[in-house]
Parts: sequence; C-alpha cells; structure tokens
Amino acid sequence: MNVVRTLLLKEKKDIALSILFGFLAGIGAVALFANSGYLISRAAVVPPLYVLTVTIALLKLFSFTRALSRYGERLYSHRATFTMLSRVRTHFFERLIPLAPRLSQQFRSGDLLARVVGDVEAMQDYFLRVFYPPLVMVTVFLATIAFTLFFSPVTALILVAGLVVTGLLIPLWHESREKRRLPQMRAERGELSSSLSEFFAGFRDLALNNQLSRQEEEILQRSTAYEKLKQQAAEERLRSQTFSQLTSFVVTWVILAAGAAMTAAGNLEGVFLAMLVMISLTVFENTVPMAAYASYKKETTEAANRLDEVLSDDSLKLPEAAEPVQLPSGAIPLSWEGVSLQYEHAVRPALHDVWLDVEPGSKTAVVGASGSGKSTLLQLALRFSLPEKGEVKASGIPLANVQEEALWERTNAVLQEQHFFYGTVEDNLRLASATAGKSDMIRAMEQVQLAYIPLESDLQEGAANLSGGERQRLALARALLRRADLWLLDEPVSSVDPLTSREVMRDVYEAAGEATLILVSHDLQGLEEMDCIVVMDQGEIQEVGTYETLMQRRGLFHDMKQVEAQVMQGTG
Amino acid sequence: MIISVLIGLTIIAQAWLIVAVVDNVFLQGASFQEVLPELAGVMLALGARSILQYVNNLTGIRLAADVKQEFRTDILRHFRSSPVRAAGEGQSGGRISLALDAVDELEPYFRHYYVVMMQSSLVPLIVLGAVFYMNWVSGLILLVTAPFVPIMMAVIGRNTERKSEEQMEKLNRFAGTFLDLLRGLTTLRLFNQAGKQAAVIEADSNAYRDATMTVLKVAFLSALMLEFISMLSISLVALEVGLRMVVYDQLSFFTAFFVLILAPEFFASLKEMGSAFHSGRGSMGAAERIYEELDSGSETAARGDLERKGPPAFTFRSVTFDYGESRFALGPLDLTVNAGEHAAVIGPSGSGKSTLLHLFSGLYEAGEGTVGVDGRAIQEYEQEQWYADMAYVTQHPYLFAGTFRDNLRLGSPDASDEEVERAAAWAGLTPLMQEMPEGLDTVIGEGGRGISGGEKQRTALARAYLKQPSLLLYDEPTTGLDIETERILQRAMNELSERATVITVAHRLHTIREADRIFLMEEGALEAQGRHEELRQSSRNYQNMLEVQQGGAGR
Repeated sequence: MNVVRTLLLKEKKDIALSILFGFLAGIGAVALFANSGYLISRAAVVPPLYVLTVTIALLKLFSFTRALSRYGERLYSHRATFTMLSRVRTHFFERLIPLAPRLSQQFRSGDLLARVVGDVEAMQDYFLRVFYPPLVMVTVFLATIAFTLFFSPVTALILVAGLVVTGLLIPLWHESREKRRLPQMRAERGELSSSLSEFFAGFRDLALNNQLSRQEEEILQRSTAYEKLKQQAAEERLRSQTFSQLTSFVVTWVILAAGAAMTAAGNLEGVFLAMLVMISLTVFENTVPMAAYASYKKETTEAANRLDEVLSDDSLKLPEAAEPVQLPSGAIPLSWEGVSLQYEHAVRPALHDVWLDVEPGSKTAVVGASGSGKSTLLQLALRFSLPEKGEVKASGIPLANVQEEALWERTNAVLQEQHFFYGTVEDNLRLASATAGKSDMIRAMEQVQLAYIPLESDLQEGAANLSGGERQRLALARALLRRADLWLLDEPVSSVDPLTSREVMRDVYEAAGEATLILVSHDLQGLEEMDCIVVMDQGEIQEVGTYETLMQRRGLFHDMKQVEAQVMQGTG
Repeated sequence: MIISVLIGLTIIAQAWLIVAVVDNVFLQGASFQEVLPELAGVMLALGARSILQYVNNLTGIRLAADVKQEFRTDILRHFRSSPVRAAGEGQSGGRISLALDAVDELEPYFRHYYVVMMQSSLVPLIVLGAVFYMNWVSGLILLVTAPFVPIMMAVIGRNTERKSEEQMEKLNRFAGTFLDLLRGLTTLRLFNQAGKQAAVIEADSNAYRDATMTVLKVAFLSALMLEFISMLSISLVALEVGLRMVVYDQLSFFTAFFVLILAPEFFASLKEMGSAFHSGRGSMGAAERIYEELDSGSETAARGDLERKGPPAFTFRSVTFDYGESRFALGPLDLTVNAGEHAAVIGPSGSGKSTLLHLFSGLYEAGEGTVGVDGRAIQEYEQEQWYADMAYVTQHPYLFAGTFRDNLRLGSPDASDEEVERAAAWAGLTPLMQEMPEGLDTVIGEGGRGISGGEKQRTALARAYLKQPSLLLYDEPTTGLDIETERILQRAMNELSERATVITVAHRLHTIREADRIFLMEEGALEAQGRHEELRQSSRNYQNMLEVQQGGAGR
C-alpha cells in the first residue's frame, strides 16, 4: 500500500486541485442553501433592499461555484487517478520482470497473471474512493462548523458530533464487520469458478459417468454460498448507509429542536434558524461516499498486499549469480552432472540423477513420453531454475555462476509456450532482432513456409487467429532472425504436418550451423540425422546414442519405433 | 409503487413539519413546548423515510441474489441439455465467464435500477404536486426547468455516453494489453526486450489517459450543465419566493421555506433516476449475452425409460450432425455395427471421427435420421443405465479436483476400496499409487496437474474396468512414445473387448486389421466401409493410406 501511496503522491498538483475543488463544491452547496434559508428569513422580516440584493447576488455566486468546482474536482481527480495508474502499472511491470520465467512456468493457467492485472487495476479506486473523500468531507465540515460557531456554538457542537459518527464511527464499525467477509467472498468465488471450470472442461467425462447432476448441484451450492456472502455484504453496506442517513437526520432534528428552544428563549436570532437547518440538511451529502469507504479501503489494501506477496515470493525469484563468469565465445557445450529436481506439489521428481554431455556444435534429440522430464531438461539449461542436486554446466561453467541475460543473449529458445503480442506480424518478428530488415523477415517467413501471411497483418492476442501449426512456425521464424550459439527447441513443430515440418526443420538445422542444438520431440521421424538421441522415461535417461546404435540395442527407442511403424500416417 | 408514494409523503411531511417548527418559533413567537408535537412529527417522518428506503433497498438486494441464482440454474440446465455447446471446441473460459461474471453483472440492475425505479418514480411527481399546491409560480419554475434534465441527458448524454463507453471498453482492452505483456514476459526476457516494454507501458498509459480525459471532459461538462440547471433552478426559486415575499408581499414565510426545502429534493430524485438508468444499462449487455446463449443451440430431447443388457447393436439411418455453425457437417451416414463387433473408425484429422464416436455414445444427438440401438431409437433408453453400461477411454481424460479414489470410481461411486485398488493395479497404476504420499486419499489438483498423460489414460482404463461395460468407445493414442502405457492399453482393451461392442478411433495398423468393420471417414462423410481385405481391394483412399504407412515404417 505504501508503494501505491508514494506513487500517488507524486501527483501533488492534481491532488491539491482535486481536494480544493472538492472542498469548494461541498462548501458551495452548503453556502447556497444557507444563503437561501437566510434570504427568506430575512425577507420575512422586511429588510432594507440592499441586504436582499447582496444575498441574491451571493446566491448566484454560490450556485456557479458549486457547479464549476464539481467539474474541476472530477477533472483533476480522474487525471490524478489515471496518471497514478500508469505509474503503478509500470512500477509493477518492472518488478515482475525478474520473476518472468517462473511466473509463467508455475502458473500456466494464467490465473495468477490475470489476478495481478486485476489487482493493479483495482488501484484506481484508491484515490477516487479511499484517499480523498475523507479529506474533502473533513475540510467541508470544518469550514461549516467554523461558520456555524459564529452564530450558534451549540449547532457547531452538534455538527461535530454528527461528523464523528458518520465520518468516523460508522465507517470504522463497517470496516470491522467487513474485515473477514471480503477474503471469504473471494475464496467462495474461487471455489465457484473452479467447479464451473470442471463442469465445462470435464463435461464429457462427467456426462458419460452420470456425474453431471452431482457437479451441477455442487455448483449451485457454491453459488448459493457466494451469493449469500455477497448479499450479506450488500446488506451490511446498506445498514451502514442507513445509519449514516439516520444520523444526519437526527443531527438536523437536534439542530432544529435546539434552535427552536434557543430562539424561543431568545438566545438565537430567529433569522438564523432556517439557515442552520438548511446547512445541516446539506452538509451531510459529503458523508455519502464514506458509506462505501470501508469496502474500497479493504479491497485496495488487499490487492496491494497480494501484489506485494507475489513480488516477495522467493520461489519465483531466479537464483542470482554471485560471481558471474563470462561464457567463452563459440558454440556452447552443455552438461548435466547428477541433476535431480522435484517441483513443488509434484508426486515425483521431474528429473532424477541425470548425467548427460552435449558436445559443442552437436545436434541432439530428446524423446520420451509426456511427463518424462524432457522439457525440464531444457528449462534447466535455460537457467529457469537450478537443480536441487548436481549441476548444469555451459561451456564447463556451472550455470549458477552465469548471468541469465548473458546466457539468453546467446541462445535461441523456442519453448512450448511461445507468446505473441497483440500487433502485427512484423512487430512480433522485430522482438527477436532490432536490426533485421524487411527482406530478412520475408526470408524467414519463407523458410518456415508462412510467406502467405503478410508482415503487416494483425495478430490477435496470443495469435489466436493463427492455427497451432502456424504459431509454431512463426516462433521458428523469430528464431531464424537471430544468430545464436545454442538452440533449445521444445517440440517446435508438433502441430505442423509431417512433410512441412521436415522441410522447415531442415532450414532450422541449416541456420543453426555450427551452434549446439537440442530438440525435444515426440516425433521419431528424421532422427537418423541427429548426432545423438536421448531417450527419457520418468525423469531418468534410459538410453543415449545415435539412431543406428539405439536401433541395434533393441531397447526403449527400438520399441517406440515399432509402435510408430504401426501408427497410420495422416490419421491424426 | 406504494413505497414510492409513502416515501414521497414522508419527504413532504418532513419539509412541512420542519417549516412549521421554524415558522412557529421564529415568526409566531411560540415557546419550545408549543412546537414539541411538530418536532416529534419531524422525528417520525425522518425515521419513516430511512426505514422505507432501507426496506426497499433490502428487497432489491434479496431480489438480486434470487434472480442471479435462477440465472445460474438456467445456464447450467441449458448447457447440460446441450452437450455440443457445453463440451464443444474452444476455450471453456467464455462459458465460465458467462455463468460467473455475466451473471454478477446483472446485479446493479436489480439492486439499483429496479429499486430506484420502484422508489423514485413517483417521488418527483408528488414533490412537484406539493410545491404547486403551495405556490404555483415555484411549481412552474421547477416544471419548466425539470425537462431540461432528461433532455440534457439525452442530447449531450447520448453522444458522450457512447464515446465514454467506447473508452471504457478501450480501458478494458488496455488492461488486456497489460495482461498480454505479462503473459509474454518470458518471451520478452529471452529476447532481451523486457526493459524497453516498461517504457512503452508508461507511454501507452499516459496516451490512453489523455485520450480518456478528452472524452471524460465532455461527460463532465454535461454533468456540469445538469448541475447548473438544478442549481439555477433552485436559486431561481429562492429568488422568486424571496422577491414575492418582500416586494409583492404575496407569500408567507411558511410557504417560501417549504418550497425551498422541497426544490432540491425534487432534483435529487431526478438525478438519482438518471444514474440508476445508467447503471441499469451495464447490466443489459450482460443480460443480452446470457439470453443469446440460452436461445442458441438445440437442446436434447427427453430420454425414455427402456432398459437393456448385453453388447448393443447399432443401426444408423441417414444420420446427420452439425455444430450449429457452417464449419462442419457430418453425414448423412448409414451404417451398422452388430452386437459384440469391433469397429474401427479411421480417416484424416478433422474428418469427423470423434463426432461419430460421440454419436455412438449418445452424448450428441443426431440432427436428422436415427441412431438405432437393438431396433429402438437410442433416445428411448434410460440415460443413466445407458451410460453406466458404457465406457469411453479417451486420449485426454479429465482428472477432477478430489482424491485419487474418487477419480478412479467416477462412474462407479459405490465401488469398494478393494475393487478400486484392483482396478488401479489392473490399469498399471500401482507404481503411481505407491509414489503418492497418501495413496488413494491423495488429493489431485484441478485437471490432474503433475500426472503424466499416460497415467491419465490409465486412470480412464481403471474407470472402465470398474464399469465392466458392454459398450466400449476407445480413442487410440496418436503417438507411441509411452511404451509402458501402450502395452497396458493393448492388454486392457483386449480384455475389456471380449464381452462388449467396441468402437475405436484407430491409429494402429493391427487394430484396424483385426476390426470386424472399418469406417473410413473423409470430410464428414463415410468414404468406405468394410473389412481390411475388402477395403484393400475396393478403396483407393485406403490403399493410399496403407502405402503412406508402409513408406513411413520403412524409413
């Protein structure tokens, strides 16, 4: 929360103006009604005409002040909010950068990221509904109280009491009652969301196992629980609003009664009585935003805390290289030396005691069933995490001592989750190489057989307007624009038809040239050309060798080829 | 409506009594004791007004909760009886958001719009009537100026509102861009571009802010005009009553003060209606989205109550099927599978193999024609029993959040632990169970994260084993990298096939060769059918497939 406040307070001018205009608008209304009350009271006792003229002129002045100030208040408060929001976005983006690979790795569904964005955007309520309404309320009240003090100290005292109750006690009371409900509500909503997601994602399995009714019941139960909490929260807010309104009514009543008593006793001039009642009726409109204050305060504070939690989550941080060592130039050899790694919440290690040497400039294929640890092998080579046991070395240097940027600068990594941004194809290619010209891009697109997509065509978010195979080839085009000493490719053509993928991969091998290349693949075709094939099973390396040696060995790889021989081509 | 009248009356009573108190002590020189009854009346009126508003809003809140629950029930029922839309291709995100967010967005309508319309619809009229009754000139001022409020809202509002809604949409899209950047942060970092993007975000945000501010300025200006109208009207009334009191001596203080208290109430209730109207509109969009979904897609017909036993025989008569969009249509298909036979469905991807399997399962309903089972239409059979006697082993079975045990006995909830363990062992899941910290009691996450694809398939096998089905639908894996699962699947399917009719979407040559019937699909049509030998003679496409396959195996 402190961060957000600091970022907000940079907008000193806009904040000051918002509060000033908010104050003027509030006090303008009070003055207008006070003035009109005074006007008619004065009129009733037949005053000299100049008093009336002045009062009428003031009437106009106050109504213009009120309307114009409200306009200024809205303008500057929104400006301040938007500026702050842009600062907040940039701030959190910069702090999320170092967490990137793990952030997307651990939260594949993107739920966490969506939450982060939601939490950042929630900060827009901070200024508009938490920070400045109390300030405006208090200043308007203080000015009003000071004014009434001049006419009737008793009235001033009653207003003070009213301010304390509506501006402080009721919000505090509301806040204390809301404290527990908000997290509960979020938890219930999460539960509802996940049972809905199971209903749809698992619909077929539920239907064919006669489980739809049960799931439907569960969803409706959770919906009821969630709605109940929401309803309670709304009722609570309504109660707080009603109490607030009731208080303002009581205050007006007390002022009326006290004023009546004092006038009757001769302690207050009768002309002021109507004015005081009008003041009381008007000034409490400034306490209206305070009814929702507690919930917004709670919401923004929690959002800020959640953001802090993500930023300070150590498991998301990449290990830092204490004494960074430079990687020597040229093709990068890799070695895994007794590497083991188990992800959090996983039932078994992703990798177990893996020993592997990849020669500089060699072309290696890693094959195995889903979940056998192939991708983890690559992610360790990219230094997304360090192994629990053993070491991964690049050019003989333990990756713990290599700065990730230094490694990535030399690497072309095409991972399974490739991201494309909203924008043109060219924008997305440009990411890979700032120096690449249009002709380079067109050539790369030709190499991956995407020449039919013009560079200026728009990509939707996540390139949803391309097919899976096209997305994969576009990712390869990006890699083809970069020179690299290490190529790490994780199933880069799994959705591309066999003929095209063979041709595209040929271009990729050619572009890789003397660089070291590791290809994770579930396709056993065309592996004859690889220098080395690594067969993985359940987190362990089962076999290593060339195509020939592995086939002669008649082990796991040979069996895989046997099954593959049975698989009809083109019956995907 | 009654509540609206009551609220209007309390407002008038409140104003009347306050004025009476002030008038009495200020001008009539009454003592405090003499105004006590009026003071008590003010208290009563104020209290009644608060209570009425509270009750009215409470009704709105409860109504919103009830209506939302009803909508969720309807949406679920709709999807349940429209499996094509529920299980259809594409992300389930949109469907979840419909049942969760869109329904939540309905809330302002019932909680705010509906309530305010109930509450305030008559209030301005009642207040205006009271003012007219007391002082027709003030009433006339209000009456002449009041229409400017809706007119202004309409004239200025319409354009700016559309613009500001567009801008709000842009804001959402902008938030989307931010999310897009976060999702792609790894890619950005690998390309060493993350630092640059931070500057882009700030520049974009600020540009966006400036664009929004120009639109908002217009919106605020219209609010300013509204404020002017009401403020000027009120000060006009004040002026009018003041002048008529002093200069013309036409009005009493009582009337003047009364009118002066009511004038702002009049505009406040008008403005409240305006803002309620605005918040109601947001809900309309959500309601449209919901109704659009509820009205789309045909719902499945009611099922009958026939019971059946043993492996079923199928007869398809001119069966067609489409997904409600132009992209894909199946059929018309005519085919037969005899009881206990093993049929293989083959064909290129997108040719309709899975859709055909869904027609066999009864999950999808034929558009035209009939799917016959043992001489009766498939819909005539009792649904629960039909599914209980059928197993569907897919390539990507879904694992639900819950214990491993519950996942295994999904289709046979009454299975004992002993039976579950036997099924798990049979499906080759013993090693996984031993690795799990709490065995069968281990809680598996949503979608079964951390469990390999092969193990998920084996879980589906164990589910099938517990059912001992007489109809077996099988989606053969397209790759053969998981040797262990491959072996288990082969043995298991052979065992389960012995006493069942089996329909397989087949990718293995041996499966196809041994099938009693092969259905070769091509672009939604049945290209050829028959046994392996027959098709090898008669179907050019089949010959081609075999050739490509042998070519692949030879390399």
